[in-house]
Amino acid sequence: MKYRFKLYKGDEIKYIGHLDLLVAFQRVIKRAKMPIDYSNGFNPHQLVSFASPLSLGLTSCAEYGDFQLKEDLDADFVMEKMNEQMPDGLKILSLVKLKDGVKNTMTSLVRAEYEVFFTKDITKEDIEKNIDGFMAQKEILAMKKTKKGINETDIRPDIFWMKNISDNEKTGFKIQVSAGSIKNLKGETVAEAFCGYVGRPYDKYAIKCVRTEMLMDNGEGEFVPLNYGVER
Amino acid sequence: MYNAVPDEILLQVEKPARYVGREVNMVKKNPDHADIRFAFCFPDVYEVGMSHLGLQILYFFLNRREDTYCERVFAPWTDMEEKMREAKIPLFALESQQSIKNFDFVGFTLQYEMSYTNVLNMLDLAGIPIYRKDRSEDDPIIICGGSCAYNPEPLADFVDIFYMGEGEVLYDEMLDLYKQFKKEGKTKQQYLEELLKIDGLYMPQFYDVEYNQDGTIKSFEPNHKDARRVIKKVVVTDMDSVFFPEKQLVPLIEVVHDRVTLELFRGCIRGCRFCQAGFVYRPVREKRACTVLEGAKRLVETSGHEEISLTSLSTSDFTGFEELACGLLEEFKDKKVNLSLPSLRIDNFSLDLMQKVQEVRKSSLTFAAEAGTQRLRDVINKNLTEENILNGCKLAFDGGWDKVKLYFMLGLPTETEEDLKGIAHLSEKIVEKYFEIPKELRPRPVTVNASASCFVPKPFTPFQWDAQDTFEEFGRKALIVKDEIKRRQVRFTYHNTMMSSMEGVLARGDRRQSALLYRAWQLGCRFDGWSDLFDFSKWQQAFKDTGLDPAFYANRERSYDEILPWDHISVGVNKSFLINEREKALRAETTPNCRQKCSGCGAASFGGGVCYEV
Repeated sequence: MKYRFKLYKGDEIKYIGHLDLLVAFQRVIKRAKMPIDYSNGFNPHQLVSFASPLSLGLTSCAEYGDFQLKEDLDADFVMEKMNEQMPDGLKILSLVKLKDGVKNTMTSLVRAEYEVFFTKDITKEDIEKNIDGFMAQKEILAMKKTKKGINETDIRPDIFWMKNISDNEKTGFKIQVSAGSIKNLKGETVAEAFCGYVGRPYDKYAIKCVRTEMLMDNGEGEFVPLNYGVER
Repeated sequence: MYNAVPDEILLQVEKPARYVGREVNMVKKNPDHADIRFAFCFPDVYEVGMSHLGLQILYFFLNRREDTYCERVFAPWTDMEEKMREAKIPLFALESQQSIKNFDFVGFTLQYEMSYTNVLNMLDLAGIPIYRKDRSEDDPIIICGGSCAYNPEPLADFVDIFYMGEGEVLYDEMLDLYKQFKKEGKTKQQYLEELLKIDGLYMPQFYDVEYNQDGTIKSFEPNHKDARRVIKKVVVTDMDSVFFPEKQLVPLIEVVHDRVTLELFRGCIRGCRFCQAGFVYRPVREKRACTVLEGAKRLVETSGHEEISLTSLSTSDFTGFEELACGLLEEFKDKKVNLSLPSLRIDNFSLDLMQKVQEVRKSSLTFAAEAGTQRLRDVINKNLTEENILNGCKLAFDGGWDKVKLYFMLGLPTETEEDLKGIAHLSEKIVEKYFEIPKELRPRPVTVNASASCFVPKPFTPFQWDAQDTFEEFGRKALIVKDEIKRRQVRFTYHNTMMSSMEGVLARGDRRQSALLYRAWQLGCRFDGWSDLFDFSKWQQAFKDTGLDPAFYANRERSYDEILPWDHISVGVNKSFLINEREKALRAETTPNCRQKCSGCGAASFGGGVCYEV
């Protein structure tokens, strides 16, 4: 039976990178004594996959992934057992059994949402005043790390919307951007471009970035969270 | 949730997870409710320290006491050290993220000499005066244990207590006493004096050393009426009833050994004459196979690890080995838990076992031949013949292995050019063995990786009196081996010669080396066991500045009647036995292992283990 999880990754565990997170998750499965399925082949590994890696230092309230058990167990039971074994800062928020034929999260993922907060250099007013102008640009050039090296790329087509979410305590914006294996834009890259647009220095250690959602195309031109409409 | 180091710094250092704790099975206690706060410091980077079984055992052992909170501290990597000094963040414990300056005990485990400067650096980072004489009543008690503590003298000026032996034996008594003294308002000094009544604890302040003109020790005398002339190590005698943790800390980032570690026994029956562990951990004390098996089940369940490793000095010597191996295979065959089997003697049984546990993937096979000729192997009492090795390789090649690793040492006592060339010859004979297999049965080319370390004479071994080669000699010898290798299937590498020289100096150091360590630390020495950070020129500067001669410590042969810096410590093995072993070594005579015949080393005085096996 295949299951899809939505996982919370908090401050406590944000310094654990993608591969380490996968290992930690696999150990949770073992400690929870879940009958996990293994791949065949020379080096059998647990059939667990995550939709997309999260940069070191980021937190998330919506990490998605799939795993496969040898048995058909109640999803709430599995979730409860696994949450009992989670390290601090990790929690499965929802778990559903997958319908047959659903593509895995990695291939389904096309968009993600981030909240980006500034602790210095950028003020609420800066965001308020500049957000429309920033989005009205035809082209937004940013330095992006790709497999071929660092290139200047136009990221405008990969930003779908941007909202001011500043309040009395926080200064920041929320964005929906391309995500997945074909096109992927990071929240930090947008933050850097925004600082450039406003004419402020960009200090990558002074921003806080949270991934808040991951989306797929539901086939009708709508973008929905990775666990919508996939439940068996 | 609180981190001692703010996010903007954590984001700038390599592997920030080293510094935030919160691993699976971490012990959480309210620090304000602990009577005794104990910082367990491993003077190396997180990934190394977290792989150390002793840490795992003592951590849970101390934390089983309700009144004690034992927390872990590792040496911050150089990038983090820089940031901590810049931001004035004192060294902190992972669990509470609090500074260790106000802890009751700060304990270091000394696993290798090249970590000594890290001990000094960690004290300094913690804001604790490095020299004992500069510390006050408010500073923690500094205690050291581990295999290097058996020659405590190089660190004598910094440390309050050296613990000789196994932690399970004395800590309860020591901590009970500490709590009582603290409650009664007594001083640290009163506590240390009270500890003189317990054997196994060495407190350097209660001893004075005088030196001869030639630099050797003239006298080593207690200066307190209760101080013992000889401090004898303490050992656990019943390995089945001794505390063993139900859980293991499971790191959230990859560490050196990421697996369940099972201890089968302590000590080793073999008596290889170069091996310090083989003497200082005597006598051999085994667990029963069922005890180990029980532990394995529990630890796998509570950790989620998918690999188990059996650790002991010579795994094949475990009397219940077959029972254990079969039990583990049976228990874990359907649970996708791999067995890792280091230090096995290669025979039919072990190969068969390796076939079973590794099914498809065939890692390389390792032989610790240690020396290139039978004569030299007899000198060091390495009970392994060329025939053993070649037969083992033949079996392995027939079983489908095609990689062999060989460990050797350069600079062993009595070594000749023939012995050096023997390293090349033995390696090539293994390649030839491979070619004896019919061509169609050897799909891949064979590789033989021969690696050589540089021999470091260690205290409490029969070679403790011997001169170590200089690093120039090591280099010259390595080239002799290299030049002798003709076959391209053989790869030869050797250990950093200068680092081995420094290890040689510190291993047999005396009290005057405290100044050397301090100076080297001042000059910036850190992580000296890491070849990319080891800076020999700084050490040479430190020798110059302190007026100490490295050759005096490393390259000088001692006479049997010289007072050695560690003579006031007893590991239970008599000096007369070591002298006899050295004389036999020079005659290339071997000594049977403890199970074949007792050689009367003295370890029977502990009243347990192999000495009393029927």
